[in-house]
Amino acid sequence: MVYLDYAATSPLLPEVIKAMHEAEEKYFANASALHTPGHLSMNKIEEARKLLAKLINAEPDEIIFTSGASESNNTVIRTFEGHKIITSPLEHHSVIETAKVLGGDEKPVLYSYMLANNEIGEILPIKDIAKKAHKEGGFVHSDLTQTLGKLPLDVKALDLDYATFSAHKIGGPIGVGALYIRKGVPFEPLIIGGSQEKHRRGSTYNTVGIAGFGAALKYVLDHKTWEIYDTKVRALRDELASRILKEVPGSSLNTELDGEKSLPNILNVSFEAAEGESIQLYLDAEGIIVSTGSACASGDIKPSHVLMAKTGDAEVAHSSIRFSFGLDNTKEDVEKVMAVLPGIIERLQKISTIERKIK
Amino acid sequence: MEGEDWVYPEKVKEHFLNPRNFLFGDESKFDFDATGIVGNPICGDQMKMYIKVKDDRIVDLRWKTYGCASAIASTSALSELAKGKTLDEALNISAKDIDNYLGNLPKHKFHCSVLGHEALADAIKNYREQKK
Repeated sequence: MVYLDYAATSPLLPEVIKAMHEAEEKYFANASALHTPGHLSMNKIEEARKLLAKLINAEPDEIIFTSGASESNNTVIRTFEGHKIITSPLEHHSVIETAKVLGGDEKPVLYSYMLANNEIGEILPIKDIAKKAHKEGGFVHSDLTQTLGKLPLDVKALDLDYATFSAHKIGGPIGVGALYIRKGVPFEPLIIGGSQEKHRRGSTYNTVGIAGFGAALKYVLDHKTWEIYDTKVRALRDELASRILKEVPGSSLNTELDGEKSLPNILNVSFEAAEGESIQLYLDAEGIIVSTGSACASGDIKPSHVLMAKTGDAEVAHSSIRFSFGLDNTKEDVEKVMAVLPGIIERLQKISTIERKIK
Repeated sequence: MEGEDWVYPEKVKEHFLNPRNFLFGDESKFDFDATGIVGNPICGDQMKMYIKVKDDRIVDLRWKTYGCASAIASTSALSELAKGKTLDEALNISAKDIDNYLGNLPKHKFHCSVLGHEALADAIKNYREQKK
């Protein structure tokens, strides 16, 4: 199998599996308890908290663990219930939909802008947003889910008030995330009814999951993964892009490859006259795993809101495929994709009702 | 890979991976009497049917589709169901018939991707209008 859907989720790192097994056996006790096993569980959690703090240049006290990025995003938006909430059109649904339901006219304003988008990899000018927001007396939240481990991160340099993280995009488990909350900013817990996380999030600590997140964070720090992404992974991504453009008629990139403009591991391409879900499933039949912005694949009736916002062209969105690379991908993976992709696209284009305009 | 691992029923997979009666490339490769079209690429699915009629019977047909796996499979299935039928019999083929033939698509797929019979009906209508 050639797995190229790392931006959706990543396989667990061996180090993570080991850490979680260890935690299941040794750190099962309630981490809030005063007894020794509870205290040992809490140590494990604090270890992970310190690793994340180090990685993003925050204080450990400024980080709480959550059930994932969607919860972290919801928590921040909920804090600003009734306030004006301005988001980029590229945000995840857990930001856009929540802001739609809970937003109002009150001040201060919350700006929620991701640093890098999950579908096309676009990097947004978050520093400029933060400057503007703070000048107006507003606050800034950034969803850093796709950025963690991919780019060097510094929440102080970015001047963020809140930031969202997820474990499962960096080889950690699904169901664990984190939220950075800058000291002194407004905050309302989403889950009420417990003194955990210093009253910022009720619910018994997910020690096993957090231990897994910690192991993944340690891997990121030890290997400086953002450097590997910038070199090895970027080279693979760029090679696939140039080969697709050269070898597949009717292809166009939805990702700007320029170094400053996109994450190094994401490549979004549209194939004229070929529909995304069909491409995805023909590739799947060849053991190549990708995702698509086509409506058909999501169980939704509309295609990707991100591609619609960027291109305004439903056909481009329906015909899009996202290849997202991880640290394990190789040159052979690119070869395997290019061995079958041109044939799949040609076949779909030849049975398509749409005439190809790009020759 | 086993069918059970796949997102759609086995028959859908089979028709998707090995579609029948499709028109590959240029339309002029098939000698048809009438065509019909349904859907819109903006919505993600479009089907076109090409029929060859003799003595009020569909003696041969081809199709083209821009669409998802179930759109391709359902149009392929329809082409098998319609071949050899009289025009009136062909007009009676419903979305439900196609769905039953394929072993039932997921509900959200059924509404958007089983449209081929409408393209076929359009082709038959066009054929009959040409004959007038």
